[in-house]
Amino acid sequence: MGSSSGQPEFDYLFKVLLIGDSGVGKSSLLLSFTSNTFDDLSPTIGVDFKVKYLTIGEKKLKLAIWDTAGQERFRTLTSSYYRGAQGIIMVYDVTRRDTFTNLSDIWAKEIDLYSTNQDCIKMLVGNKVDKESERAVTKKEGIDFAREYGCLFLECSAKTRVNVEQCFEELVHKILETPSLTAEGSSGGKKNIFKQNPAQTSSASSSYCCSS
Amino acid sequence: MVDATSNLTPTQRYAAGALFAIALNQAQINQTQPLGIPAAKDDDEECENRRSEDRKSNSSSGDSVSDDPGLWVHEKSGLLRPVFRCLDIQPSAWLGLEETANSSPAKHHIGAFTRLLSEEASDASAEMMEQEMALAKAADAMVHSIQSSLSVDAKKEKHQEYENECREKYAVPEVKSKDEDSDKDKKETAETESLETGVVIIDGSHKPEVVEDDKSVEEVTLLSHQRKINVLYELLSACLSDKHQEVKKCTRRRKGYDARHRVALRLLATWFNIEWIKVEAIETMIACSAMALQKSGEMEGENAQSPTNTWAKWKRGGIIGAAALTGGTLMAITGGLAAPAIAAGFGALAPTLGTLVPVIGASGFAAAASAAGTVAGSVAVAASFGAAGAGLTGTKMARRTGDLDEFEFIAIGENHNQGRLAVEVLVAGFVFKEEDFLKPWEGLTSSMERYTLQWESKNLILVSTAIQDWLTSRLAMELMKQGAMLTVLSSLLMALAWPATILVAADFIDSKWSIAIDRSDKAGRLLAEVLQKGLQGNRPITLVGFSLGARVIFKCLQTLARQNKTVFFLSELVERVVLLGAPISINNENWRDVRKMVAGRFINVYATNDWTLGVAFRASLLSQGLAGIQPICIPGIENVDVTHMVEGHSSYLWKTQQILERLEIDTYYPVFRDIL
Repeated sequence: MGSSSGQPEFDYLFKVLLIGDSGVGKSSLLLSFTSNTFDDLSPTIGVDFKVKYLTIGEKKLKLAIWDTAGQERFRTLTSSYYRGAQGIIMVYDVTRRDTFTNLSDIWAKEIDLYSTNQDCIKMLVGNKVDKESERAVTKKEGIDFAREYGCLFLECSAKTRVNVEQCFEELVHKILETPSLTAEGSSGGKKNIFKQNPAQTSSASSSYCCSS
Repeated sequence: MVDATSNLTPTQRYAAGALFAIALNQAQINQTQPLGIPAAKDDDEECENRRSEDRKSNSSSGDSVSDDPGLWVHEKSGLLRPVFRCLDIQPSAWLGLEETANSSPAKHHIGAFTRLLSEEASDASAEMMEQEMALAKAADAMVHSIQSSLSVDAKKEKHQEYENECREKYAVPEVKSKDEDSDKDKKETAETESLETGVVIIDGSHKPEVVEDDKSVEEVTLLSHQRKINVLYELLSACLSDKHQEVKKCTRRRKGYDARHRVALRLLATWFNIEWIKVEAIETMIACSAMALQKSGEMEGENAQSPTNTWAKWKRGGIIGAAALTGGTLMAITGGLAAPAIAAGFGALAPTLGTLVPVIGASGFAAAASAAGTVAGSVAVAASFGAAGAGLTGTKMARRTGDLDEFEFIAIGENHNQGRLAVEVLVAGFVFKEEDFLKPWEGLTSSMERYTLQWESKNLILVSTAIQDWLTSRLAMELMKQGAMLTVLSSLLMALAWPATILVAADFIDSKWSIAIDRSDKAGRLLAEVLQKGLQGNRPITLVGFSLGARVIFKCLQTLARQNKTVFFLSELVERVVLLGAPISINNENWRDVRKMVAGRFINVYATNDWTLGVAFRASLLSQGLAGIQPICIPGIENVDVTHMVEGHSSYLWKTQQILERLEIDTYYPVFRDIL
């Protein structure tokens, strides 16, 4: 996130959303991905936002990643962030079974309810595999869940950085394979999903105007 | 996190900060894209060009806020982060909020954050609830006291007298022509209208209902009235705070009440369905406690205070709180409150505060006081009030600049030294005697602190009289009888040659007119200088002017735009602008830049039959468009056609008030009511 000058050009801009229960490590995962560090983080307030540039093949990508709070009190908030997301990452903690069961009880339903993108790519991520001894959810269960919901699946550790980059890269690969999503995210087109400057999407101006 | 300095829980403050951020960003978008206007269907080339231009100026290729330092929500603008800081929102959450503010569609975020705000937090103490209620009651009482100070009827009557007097004196020719040649008149009017096919006159087309359909957020009904009041109170306190840690490379250089903040609060109040007068009441409450506290601080001789201490004290007390704590009785309250206010020369404040007590009772007041005191305002703003009155009225800069013979602010209305946080400057430009600088504005009911600008009265009276003399001359009368004037105007619009008779007439006015134009340009530059010096007390300003007065305002904005161009367009000073019958070329001036200097509404009022203006302004310039008789095709400028309301250029003297009332400048959205 530099200044406006020297801004690297990019071919695609994708919006990615991180959801899941409080404490499963969404923010840690993101921090691990964007700045290669691991830290004890306090619970996220509301939403956090980070940008990451990636190059996949020939394509330069800009990922705008929204990290939502898992805490119950912010639940109402996250609903408005689903719109327009090309990728959604559902995170659970492999050492806490409830965080896994809540995915089908709560989070998968939220996606169905709020996501505006039919083709949006979903990904299931089991975090904290470094704590293998405390594991409460088997990999098999994760795979089964992913198959049932039609989403990608990976197990990773934000702490040891195992599979962290793969998480995001696999997701992005899948998005790139989906034409409807790449069309939305293309930076050349006007349909920039974040572009909220209505100056470019509607032209109220002309209603003011004399025809020249 | 236990926090004794707020009536809201941390989560609620987070939501409040988010809503404010969204409002701020929306307000900036509305600068060029006012709400309530249906999007056009066809994309003609012109608009295409405009769009790419807007893209260039508004945002770079990136889509994150951090890539675009021109955004109001960007860190560099210094508008948002200090507010977050005052709301005690954790810095880690700031970036997310800024990005949220700039991510579409805003409506869903507004709904979600409003819901978050409405939720009854489990950790909210009974005391907080009580204080919340008390503050809301105090605000209501303040509204009452503001309203009772406006004696509407008497003013209306007075203005009616003035209108009749003026109409008798100056409106003769136009009125006559209408009476005599009503048939011809109609025909000609139709002709002029047909000349302007393609002009969509927004008159009446901006129905507030449309806007509501588009914008209303159902979640707002979940919010209690007192919660809304408290949120606005805390946000405003945070806006006024001078606890701005110096942000490096921050483009905002000024302390005080930023016009952009006020516009955002206005939008937020609109979302909340809160009448604007309530926000004004909150403004006054904060101003009063801030001023009183500052005074008491001075009296105690606490000189060795670090800024942080002062801030801590703000949050803790405010004189209202102090008074309530020390006594809790009426005596203690008035004694503690009124004394410093009176000592400071704010005698008028005492009754304002005094009226609160009987309405809500002494114990209620004590509760409200401690509620209000927990989030008091800022030293920067308070200190500016004392200077403000003298600041503007004391500006007799004529001698210093040498170019102008007269340039003086005159206080009008009864809102001075009342702790009002908004200033209105009214500029007349077509005057026959000195009192015409004052009279057109006197009937207006407004809760702002108001000043008129009296400038170059000699020259203005000369040119106005010359024009009037010519209008009443035989030649003009004759022309009017034939309905020729409207033809003249239409030929002007089409850049045709003028009839010789008119040219002669114009010569007659010309020399006086060009002097007046020159002076208005200079007065505009001077006004810009006054505003930049902060003589209005670093408070948001609303500028209203007609005829050459409108030109003064335009030139003022132009000067500001020129000086601020290097550091983006800073619309921090001017909140709203209304130009009526403005003698300003449309195509030769950079309206786009000028528009950006105004944070809120920018209204151009024009009359297609104002041929006086056309004649005075001359044909050569007319072919380039004239703001006073035509709409300005710049996105973000509201064009209001008042052809059916005015009978000629001089009508603005007595019609301005009515036009302003119909514009409802306290409304966030473009409005022009059909009926009063």
